[in-house]
Amino acid sequence: MFWAQLINGLTTGSVYALIALGYTMIYGILGLINFAQGEIYMGGAFVAVLLLATGKVPFLLAFAAGMVTAALLGVALERVAFRPLRGSHPLVPLISAIGASIFLQSLALLLFGPNDRPFPVQFSFQAITVAGVPLSSLQGAILGAALGLMALLFAFVRYTRYGKAIVACALDRDTARLMGINVDRMVSLTFFIGSALSGAAGIMMAIYYNATYPRMGLLPGLKAFAAAILGGVGNIPGAILGGLVLGVAESLGAAYISSGFKDAIAFAILILVLLLRPQGLLGGRGH
Amino acid sequence: MSAYLLHLAVMAGIYILLALSLNLIVGYAGQVSLGHAAFYGIGAYASALTALNWHLPFPVAALAAMLVTGACGLGLGLPTLRLKEDYLAIVTLGFGVIVDLVFLNLAVTGGPDGLVGIPPPVLLGLSFRARGLYLLLVAGAVLLALGFTHRLVNSYHGRALRAIRDHETTAQVMGINTSAYKIVIFTLAAAMAGLAGSLYAHYITFINPESFGLHTSILLVCMVVLGGMGSLPGSVVGAVILTAVPELLRQTHALQDLIYGALLVGLLIWRPEGLLGRGKLSLKFLQRE
Amino acid sequence: MLTLKSVQAGYGRLPVLKGVSLHVREGEVVTLIGGNGAGKTTTLRTISGLLPVRKGEVQFDGQALHRLPPERIVALGLALVPEGRRVFATLSVTANLELGAFHRPDKRQVRRDLEGLRERFPLLRERGHQPAGTLSGGEQQILAICRALMAQPRLLMLDEPSMGLAPRVAAQVYGILRELKAGGTTLLLVEQNARAALKLADRGYVLETGRVILDGSASDLREDPEVQRAYLGKGYQEVWE
Repeated sequence: MFWAQLINGLTTGSVYALIALGYTMIYGILGLINFAQGEIYMGGAFVAVLLLATGKVPFLLAFAAGMVTAALLGVALERVAFRPLRGSHPLVPLISAIGASIFLQSLALLLFGPNDRPFPVQFSFQAITVAGVPLSSLQGAILGAALGLMALLFAFVRYTRYGKAIVACALDRDTARLMGINVDRMVSLTFFIGSALSGAAGIMMAIYYNATYPRMGLLPGLKAFAAAILGGVGNIPGAILGGLVLGVAESLGAAYISSGFKDAIAFAILILVLLLRPQGLLGGRGH
Repeated sequence: MSAYLLHLAVMAGIYILLALSLNLIVGYAGQVSLGHAAFYGIGAYASALTALNWHLPFPVAALAAMLVTGACGLGLGLPTLRLKEDYLAIVTLGFGVIVDLVFLNLAVTGGPDGLVGIPPPVLLGLSFRARGLYLLLVAGAVLLALGFTHRLVNSYHGRALRAIRDHETTAQVMGINTSAYKIVIFTLAAAMAGLAGSLYAHYITFINPESFGLHTSILLVCMVVLGGMGSLPGSVVGAVILTAVPELLRQTHALQDLIYGALLVGLLIWRPEGLLGRGKLSLKFLQRE
Repeated sequence: MLTLKSVQAGYGRLPVLKGVSLHVREGEVVTLIGGNGAGKTTTLRTISGLLPVRKGEVQFDGQALHRLPPERIVALGLALVPEGRRVFATLSVTANLELGAFHRPDKRQVRRDLEGLRERFPLLRERGHQPAGTLSGGEQQILAICRALMAQPRLLMLDEPSMGLAPRVAAQVYGILRELKAGGTTLLLVEQNARAALKLADRGYVLETGRVILDGSASDLREDPEVQRAYLGKGYQEVWE
């Protein structure tokens, strides 16, 4: 029972981590909370689901398409709802993000209707055992994919020119410009990558819970943000750690304490962390 | 039709109270609160329970609501004193969500169905069940609140608050007890929101957690930002507009939220400082980086 | 090489530069001295594009700079070592250096330049993997200068390189600047420490409340009684030369 909950927690946690990475990167470079991140997650899921429903698109291609659409959606979002508001009071882009979130949710409602859609592709998932721990191959697949994406991001930030440039922009925007870095482009790139990850997360959850619907991004978005704060906002390994910890805590808490308050667990943890150690587990950076 | 307009007016009045209280926190003390609807809800439930369980008259219930919410504001304000803006935003957000969940899950608050049969106020032998009368009650409350906040904002304390908002360290250095101010504002604002909650509960006569959730908190922030932070008339304008607009948009049915969201983004891009707000807080501009 | 003509600039509604004119010729070392708030840093930030030019012109090799963003100005050959060093604290020393050459397309030459700098300043190699924030003030200053050099600038601007450094360390930094001068690098140096700056420079400008009030060769300025009284502290002990 414990192991099942743990694995479940790690699985949902790794998905939270992917979304949290989007939040943390955007927060790091712009200092703003992208409340519409959940809708980008939802967008990626819908695109993949719709493509797969046609029956003519192979799974991996649909997955990639979902990620790319989410990425482009994120870049467009930044252009339209955030860039014009540079330099205003921090609450202003926040409200803009909320407006965008409402807009996207209702757009999805209009286009797709409110009902849950099952995932169009049937996989046969078996129970497997890894290192003595029982899990389903679905969980294994999600964990593997999520961890793989995270590793890619980590390498990108650590070893590539653009990755370092993004960190530089988060640390000290003006000095980054003195290096010849075009901050606007780095911001767009950040949104592209963060949104792609969120899109992937959306597709994974669409498979895991076998449900895709316009409001699916709401709670995971908030929880992922809690995870980003938990790990230390602006800190990439922190977002990953935060997501995993949150997923596990939520899963175990729901099983052993109360399932009604499951959603509150994320926020209770969040508040505790912020009151006791505001910089998060690993310490934030950037803004 | 007239009954409908009266209803809108009452709701607008209640939202004005809420926007004013939030503006105290956001526009004057320079803090962030993304969970303000929690105080609204606590006030509503406290007032309702006082009236339902102990059959106490409206003024007592309203007062109880304000005391309880004020205490909660104090409770929230104290530990969050040293949090930076963004973290404060998250904590208040989390607070709002947790309170919402408490309403949903506790037996005494009636769970998802909430509480029903809340008695309308009876003052001076007159029952305020009728909409027109209730509007008078709400208008009275709004005027009181406006008067109070206006006095506060234009007093020495108001200037102290603005100093805290614009540059907290400098204010501290000048001897302003920033912690005390922040806590007092949180408490006052919470109490005001609690009053609004009480008014709401005794007006609609039934309440459930739906009205006090995250989206209401966000709506309140939108009202304050749209109207202009740090502008009292701005809060009034923001509250009225964001009460009226969803109603007007109801005509458009399915496109309703779509336009609402687009409008929000559009208005902000057009006027980031809010419709009646002053220009960018000039001191912030001076900070390089 | 670099010309400013009656440049006005400022922050928000606050005017700081009220009409600054100066020029720097190739191979020269020019210094800008003045008290706090005179506008020295503002001048450099305006030249490098971080602040908009309200009125007047900034020209580099005949090219107008005042509409260009900082990213493009660096590419033209103007690099700034900002006030307070501003290294990217959580990035490694090597990453900082690499970022200095961000806009350069010729990767091989960049690597060679990096090696060259490492040869000259072994600390860059020794501390290559350390986060830049763990370096001492003096080391960070050296890093910041090398980072700017990685951009292969034709004109290097420095904003108060000796600020906050112990005298011995500051002397070390000035030693490096002397090497650069000997190597023919054009320098525009902003300093509060007028004594050290005027020793190094060929020419200087004195800035006060947003205007140039004096200019001339460095030796002339050193002799000038006004400058001596205001900025050189007559009777000041030469603690470090």
